[in-house]
Amino acid sequence: MNRSFFAKNPSILWFIALLGLFTLGVTLLSEATGTGLISTSFVKTLGKTLCLCLVAIAMDVVWGYCGILSLGHFAFFGIGGYAIGMWLMYARTEVIVSASMANQVIPPSATEVSDAIASQIFGVVGASELPTIWSFAHSLPLQLLMVVLIPGLLALVFGWLAFRSRVTGVYLSILTQAMTLALSLYLFQNDSGLRGNNGLSGLQNIPGFESTPQSLVSMAFFWASALALAIGYILFAFVISGKMGSVIRAIRDNETRVRFLGYHVESYKLFVFTLTAIVAGIAGALYYPQAGIINPAEIAPIASIYLAVWVAIGGRGRLYGAVLGTVAVTLASSWFTGGGAPDINLGFYTIKWTDWWLVLLGLSFVAVTLFAPQGIGGLVDKLVRKKA
Amino acid sequence: MLRALLAALLFAWLPAPGFAQDLQSILQEHQAEVAKPSRGTVGPVLEALSASGLPEVPRFLERWQDKNVYTREEDGLFFYVEQTGDTVTLIDLGTGEPAQTAVDPDALNQIKPNGGVRRAIAEALVQFQLSDPDITRRAGAVDAIARGLDPSQIAPLAASIDGEPDAALKLRKQRLLNYLAARFGTTPEARIAAIRALSSDLSVDGRAVLSQVLTTTTEIAQEIPASANVARILTPGTDLPEAEAYAMIAAKAGAPAIIDPTRIRPTLETHVENGKAGGMPAAQLTTPEARLRAYDALAAAGKVPPRATPEIIAETLAGWTIYDAYDEPDATITDAAEVTQAAVQSRVAVSQAADLGLDAISLASIYFLAAIGLAITFGVMGVINMAHGEFIMMGAYTGYVVQLFIPDYTLSLVVALPLAFAVTFGAGVAMERLVIRWLYDRPLETLLATFGVSIALQQLAKNIFGTQARPLTSPGWLDGAWQINDVIAISYIRIAIFVLALLFLGLLLFILKRTRLGLEVRAVTQNPRMAASMGINPDRIKMMTFGLGSGIAGIAGVAIGLYAKVTSEMGADYIVQSFMTVVVGGVGNVWGTLAGAFMIGTLQKGIEFFNPSNTLAAQTYMILFIILFIQFRPKGIVALKGRAAGD
Repeated sequence: MNRSFFAKNPSILWFIALLGLFTLGVTLLSEATGTGLISTSFVKTLGKTLCLCLVAIAMDVVWGYCGILSLGHFAFFGIGGYAIGMWLMYARTEVIVSASMANQVIPPSATEVSDAIASQIFGVVGASELPTIWSFAHSLPLQLLMVVLIPGLLALVFGWLAFRSRVTGVYLSILTQAMTLALSLYLFQNDSGLRGNNGLSGLQNIPGFESTPQSLVSMAFFWASALALAIGYILFAFVISGKMGSVIRAIRDNETRVRFLGYHVESYKLFVFTLTAIVAGIAGALYYPQAGIINPAEIAPIASIYLAVWVAIGGRGRLYGAVLGTVAVTLASSWFTGGGAPDINLGFYTIKWTDWWLVLLGLSFVAVTLFAPQGIGGLVDKLVRKKA
Repeated sequence: MLRALLAALLFAWLPAPGFAQDLQSILQEHQAEVAKPSRGTVGPVLEALSASGLPEVPRFLERWQDKNVYTREEDGLFFYVEQTGDTVTLIDLGTGEPAQTAVDPDALNQIKPNGGVRRAIAEALVQFQLSDPDITRRAGAVDAIARGLDPSQIAPLAASIDGEPDAALKLRKQRLLNYLAARFGTTPEARIAAIRALSSDLSVDGRAVLSQVLTTTTEIAQEIPASANVARILTPGTDLPEAEAYAMIAAKAGAPAIIDPTRIRPTLETHVENGKAGGMPAAQLTTPEARLRAYDALAAAGKVPPRATPEIIAETLAGWTIYDAYDEPDATITDAAEVTQAAVQSRVAVSQAADLGLDAISLASIYFLAAIGLAITFGVMGVINMAHGEFIMMGAYTGYVVQLFIPDYTLSLVVALPLAFAVTFGAGVAMERLVIRWLYDRPLETLLATFGVSIALQQLAKNIFGTQARPLTSPGWLDGAWQINDVIAISYIRIAIFVLALLFLGLLLFILKRTRLGLEVRAVTQNPRMAASMGINPDRIKMMTFGLGSGIAGIAGVAIGLYAKVTSEMGADYIVQSFMTVVVGGVGNVWGTLAGAFMIGTLQKGIEFFNPSNTLAAQTYMILFIILFIQFRPKGIVALKGRAAGD
C-alpha cells in the first residue's frame, strides 16, 4: 500500500477517521472508562453491529463487485463463530472441571479431565465423548487457525466445483442456499458433534479473564471488531482497486467477454469467493463471543438472505454502502422489534410494530429494489455529486 | 377338565352332569367361593359353571366380572340388580325377570372380584364368546386369545371353528389355531407342519410366533452338552464384548472380576494412608498404569479384591465356549422355524421395498406439485420466485378458511381447490404486474424483491392466523390407508395427492402442447424476441404464465395442507426442495420437473431407509448429492438444447 492508493481512494481515509472517532466516542461514554452513558449491553450491540458490517462488506465485494449473489456467506460467518466457540467452551469447561477436581486425594489423569470436560459439554445431547472435530479445541492458536481454514477450505472446494462447471446467476444463488441449508440441517442433529440445536453457549466468558468485568471485556471486543472492520475495509478497498478490481467488476458486467479477453474468470471468482468467506469467518469469530451463544438457527438460509438485504439497501458496489445498510437495518430492526417504535392506533386496529416490522421490512425491500436500485449509498452519491 | 372332575368328586352328592340343574343351585353349592372369590378358589367354580352347559352362564360370568352380581344377606342367594332412581330391583339369574322390587340396598352385598379373579373369569368367558351369536363378541374373543397365546385355548378355539358362520373370522380363527399349534402342538410333526404354514404369513403376529419359537438363551460351558439345541456359537470380541463374555464366565467359575477402570481411582482413594496408596504416593497416581500397579499392590495385601488382568481374561475365555441355545430343545422344530423365518423375512424385505417405492412416489408427487409452478415461471421468465412457498401457504390457508364456512369436508374441498387456484393466480398476476416486470433485466434482484414479498406475506399470515398450526381436515373417505398386505400400506390422502399430481401433469401437458396459450408460452420460453416479432405479446404471456404457476402452487398448498398442518412457515419448508427439483430436473420442461421430483423423492426416502432415525441427515446428504449432481449435469436432467438454452 503506497500513498497513491489512499490518494486514489479518499473515501477510505474518511471511513477510517469516522470509525476511529466513533470508537473513541463510544469508549469515552461507556461504563468501562467513562460516564457510563452507554451501557455494556449496548456496547456489545455496537460491537456485534461492527462485525455484521465486516461480513456485509465481504458480501458487497462478492456480490456488488463480482456479481456472485452468494446466499451462503452467513454460513461462513457461523462456521467462524463455531470454531472460536469450541475453544471458548472447551477452555472454560476445563477451568471449571479442573477446579472441581483439584481437591481430590489422587490427582486426576489427563484422560479423566478430558472425559469430564466432554461429559460436561455433551451431556445435553446424551454423549460423553469428545468428537473428533474437537481435537484442536484445547488450543487457542489451532482453533484460531480453524476460524480461517474451515470457511476458506469450504469456500474453495464449493467454489471450485461450482465455478468450474460454469454454474452462474440464479443457479449459483440457489446452490449456495442449498449448501447453507445442508450445513444448518447437519448442525441441528444431536450427533453432529456440536451439541445439536443447543448450540454452543456461555461464550461471553473468556477463559483466563474470569475476574475481568464484562464492561472491559465487551470494550476489548468492541475495539477488536472496529480494528477488524478497518483492516477488512482497507483490504477489500485494495482488492477492488487497480487492475484486479477492474477485472472483477468486468466479470460482474459481462463474464463471457472477460473470458474471451483471455482472463481466467474462474480463478478470479474463486479468489474473491474464498477471501470473502475467510473474512466472514473472522467476523463470526468476533461476533459470537459478544453474542454469548451460537446455534444452528443462526446460519439458517434466511440469515444469508438478510445479509444480501443489508447490502442491497445500503447500496451495492460501494463498500461504505454495505456498512450503511447494515447499520440502518439492524438498528431499525432492534428499534422496531424492541418496542421502541410507538404503536399506531387506526381506530379499528392497532398496528403493533413487533408484529408488523417484518411486513414493513419486506415491502421496503421491494421498494428499494424497484425504486432505488443503488440503495442508500446511491442517494449519498447523488448528494456528493450535486455539491461537486 | 381334570379339576372339574375332582371338584365333582369332592361334592359327592352332586347330581351327575346333564341332570337338570339351574344356575342358582350350582352357585349355591359354591356360595362362599362366589361371594368372596379369590384367584386360588375360583377355578373349581368356573369349571363347574362351564361343565353345566347352561345358556345363562356367559351372561352371569360377564355380570360377575363387571361387579353387577349381589347376594341377598338374609338367604345368600345371588341376583343381578337394576336401579331406577332410588328403587333397587333384584333380577333373577335364570329367568331375567324381576324377583323382588324396592329392596333395601343395605340388605345386599355387592360381589367385587379382584383383578386376578376377573382375568380368570375372562378366560372362562372366552369359550362362550367364541360361539356367541354376536360377531363383535366373537371377534373380541379372538383378539383376546391373540393377545396372549396359551395352550389352554387350543381346544375351545378348535371347537368353535366349524360352527363359525363368518368367513373372514373363520379364517382368522384358523390362523390363530395355527399359531397355537406352532407353539404348543403336541407332536413335533404337527408343530413343524404348523410352522411351515406360516411361511406366507407376513403379519406381525405370525412373525412373533416364529420368533417366540426361536427364542434363545446365552449360555456358557466348557463342553457344550449334547442335549443343547445350539443356535450359534458366540466369539468374544466379535459377537459380544470380551468384558461381557468374561463377566458371564467369572460369575459361574468364580474367576476374579474385571474392575471397571473408572472404579479404580475411587477404590484407591478409600485406601490412602499417610498420603500413600498401595505403597505409592497418591499425588503420583496420575496415569492409568501407575494406578493399576498401586491397585495390584493393594490386592496382593488382600485389601481389595484381585482384578482380572488381560492374561487371565484371555486364558479364561480360551477355556470356555459361549453359545446361544434355543429354548426349544427339538432341533427339527427350530430348523423348520429358521427356514420359515428366512422365507418370511425375504418376503417382508420385498414388501418393504415396495412400500418404500410407494412412499417415494407419493413424496415425488408432492414435490412435483410444489415445484412445477416454479419450473414454468423459471423456464419462461428466467426469474426465481422466492415467494412461491408463500403461494403454497396461501393456498393452504384458503382451504382452511373455506372449511370455516363450509362444514362439509367433501364439498369444502371441491370449493377450496378452484378457489385456492383463483386466489393464488390473482396474487401471482398482481406480483408480476407490480414487481417482477420491472426487473426482467435484473434476475438476481428479482430473487431479492420476491424474497421481500415472501417475508412480508409470511409475517402477514402470522398476524392474521396466529402462529399455531391450523388444521385442514380431509373428508372421511380419504381417511385410513390402502392395506395391500401386512407390510405395504399407503394412506388414501397420499393416493389422492398422487392422482392430483397426475391430473396436473396431464392438464399442463395439454395446455402446453395443445392450446394456443401453450404454443405461445413455448415460443417465449425458447426465444422471447423472436416470439415477439412473430406477433406474440410476451408481456401477456409472462403474466399468464406467472399466474398459472402461482395458481398451481395454491393447489399444491391445499394438497400439502391435507396431510401436514397449515402454518405460516409451511411454504418455507418446501421452497428449497422445490428449487432443487427445478434445478435437478432442468428448467422450463414439465418432464424435467417430473424426473427431478421423482429423483429427489426417491433419494430422500432411500436415504431415510438406511438411516431411519435421522431425517435431518437424510436432507443433508440429499442436498450434498444434488450439489455434486449439478457438477455433472449443470443444466439438469432434461436440458434445453441449442440456441434455446441461451446462457
